[in-house]
Amino acid sequence: MAIVELDRISKSYESKVAVKDLSFRIEPGEMFGLLGPNGAGKTSTIRMMIGITMPDSGTVSLFQQPFRRDSLARVGYLPEERGLYKKMKVLDQLVLLGQLHGLDKVTATTRAKSWSERLQIADSLDKRTEELSKGMQQKIQFISTLLHEPGLIIMDEPFSGLDPVNATLLQDTLLELRGAGKAILFSTHRMDQVEKLCDSICLMNHGAAVLAGNMREVKSRFERDRVVIEFEGDASFLNHPVVAEAKNYNGHAELRLKPQADAQQLLRAAIAVARVNKFELVEPSLEEIFIQTVGGRADA
Amino acid sequence: MHNAFLIAKREYLERIRSKAFRVSTVLIPAAFAAIFSLTSLSIRSGSGDHQLVVASNDADLAASVKTELTSGKDTKLSVAVMAPATTADLQGLIAQVESKQIDGYLWLAVTPGQSQPEVTYASRSSADYAGRDHLESVIDDALVREELVKRGMAPVAVGGLLKGVKITTMQVKNGELVRGDSAKHFWGAYIMAFLVYFSVVFYGVNVAQSVVGEKTSRVYEVLLATARPESLMLGKLMGVGGAGLTQMGIWAAFALIYSGSTIAASFGTFGLAAYGVTPLKLIFFVTYFILGFFFYGALSAGFGATVGSEQEVQQFSMLIALPQVAGLVLMPFILGNPNSPVAIALSLFPPCTPIVMILRMAAMAVPWYQLLLSVVLMIAAILCLLWGASRIYRVGILMYGKRPTLPEMLRWMRYS
Repeated sequence: MAIVELDRISKSYESKVAVKDLSFRIEPGEMFGLLGPNGAGKTSTIRMMIGITMPDSGTVSLFQQPFRRDSLARVGYLPEERGLYKKMKVLDQLVLLGQLHGLDKVTATTRAKSWSERLQIADSLDKRTEELSKGMQQKIQFISTLLHEPGLIIMDEPFSGLDPVNATLLQDTLLELRGAGKAILFSTHRMDQVEKLCDSICLMNHGAAVLAGNMREVKSRFERDRVVIEFEGDASFLNHPVVAEAKNYNGHAELRLKPQADAQQLLRAAIAVARVNKFELVEPSLEEIFIQTVGGRADA
Repeated sequence: MHNAFLIAKREYLERIRSKAFRVSTVLIPAAFAAIFSLTSLSIRSGSGDHQLVVASNDADLAASVKTELTSGKDTKLSVAVMAPATTADLQGLIAQVESKQIDGYLWLAVTPGQSQPEVTYASRSSADYAGRDHLESVIDDALVREELVKRGMAPVAVGGLLKGVKITTMQVKNGELVRGDSAKHFWGAYIMAFLVYFSVVFYGVNVAQSVVGEKTSRVYEVLLATARPESLMLGKLMGVGGAGLTQMGIWAAFALIYSGSTIAASFGTFGLAAYGVTPLKLIFFVTYFILGFFFYGALSAGFGATVGSEQEVQQFSMLIALPQVAGLVLMPFILGNPNSPVAIALSLFPPCTPIVMILRMAAMAVPWYQLLLSVVLMIAAILCLLWGASRIYRVGILMYGKRPTLPEMLRWMRYS
């Protein structure tokens, strides 16, 4: 039961191809990371998902039916370019955005107040937006995305510009929403956040998906060819035939193994000559996978 | 449509509560009232409180001119006669004008054998044209009076002959003669045409500015995830237009109070009807305001979506005002020839309709089919504009940076 299903969607502007033959699915309770360098086509993809633009070819389905505007009442979207009415009071603004999503005034007001308590901005409800800091404005926008209790939440760079305390606050909120069965799409170029939060990813470059799937599965496609060893004694095992490259910093060694090499052989050779305190086969980080996949092809 | 109303309500309230709204609501009628009162005052006091010397070598003519000058409504003009005067007195008169003892002198040199005297009027201000016209007719009358008396006509009979002719202006409306004060009717038409011009341009530019403002503050990114661009644009037009109507409503209320007040009565302007502002004209005035606003508002919204800064809006506002300025510039022609092919064509050409039709309605009873046709044509033009503008709008509001070229905008209209 996919909340989002993109089937081979493409979009071009003038002579530039923004998105090419892109497909992916997002299930309920899934945190999905849409990754890629700047200009990879992430925002263009999101805009097609919520009907701001239409794909030239391919189909977008939301909540198991072909895209319809009334499905948007169940979508919360936090755009990368934050925008609020500057002169409007915070509460009025939240209520208006809630009403635009189909809530009645009373419900919108109640929910706006309760979310403001939760995200610690209740004191600002009576202020004009222009009087608030950027981080505060971001929280308001975050709330406006969630007021109508959407089944699908789309967040474009949700943590950019936030201090660590507030970033954690919003991150915990998102994790809670995932726990409640919401589908969350989260677009960013911050690999560490994706690695920590997302269940599945789609890595885009030049408008096309270059890597997609479950996070564990994606990572398992890349060999665990890095080893960290902490040892005392003879370091001669670092020249073992399975080792492609080794750096030794006084008993802390970082190695890269040759393709298809067996790390167990290296462990046996190490124990034979030295006292091994730590032997860890490290999986590649998403950042390494990203760099390895996109390589020099990325624009940024 | 629900979303369009929500957006309209927001736009409306933000405008109504703004300082600019309060200031313009008060200042614009105040400026009108000031211009109006000043004009009335200057007409009434233009030749008042003046010290004039009539000098001539012909004492009879000088006395006759004095009689003519002081017999009119201008009782505040005091006239002294210096006759018979010689060229030697001229220096003395110049000195008196210079030292502000008198405001000016009229020098009438009669040469025997010539029917017309040589007349010189000297004062400190050279631009006293209204006075000059008046003086010329007074001297003409004095010459005729003197000549007729010389030829044996009784002075009373001469006075009766020289009394000005009064013309009663009538208007033929629906086959009947209706009494009308043409000067006042033109004032009414002038004010209504100017109000439509001002409001449509002002609120049209307001739409463009508000689109650019929201574009730069990136509000659209959020709004577009909930509402169609067409609803956003329609909501904006309704909100801004509603604020415009509210402002005009306030002005209309002021005008009604003013026209019934003692101040207005003292200026002889009792009642709006005195200015030819009938209920029918008011209905058409409001109709043309709404149509004009939607026409120029849609144009402005489409344009606002293509630019990136308020400065560009300023340049453009000059451009869209042009058809209406043309209507205002042609006002004397339209009022004089309301049934000419040019006036009819302009009143049916949607960009000019609001102003030109209001002017024609003031000058004549415009046939009902022309009024109907003008409204139908305007609605058709507005629908076309809304269609085109909303397509440019939906792409334009998400485009930042470089301003699009015309071919690019045409391509935007094809995007779905």
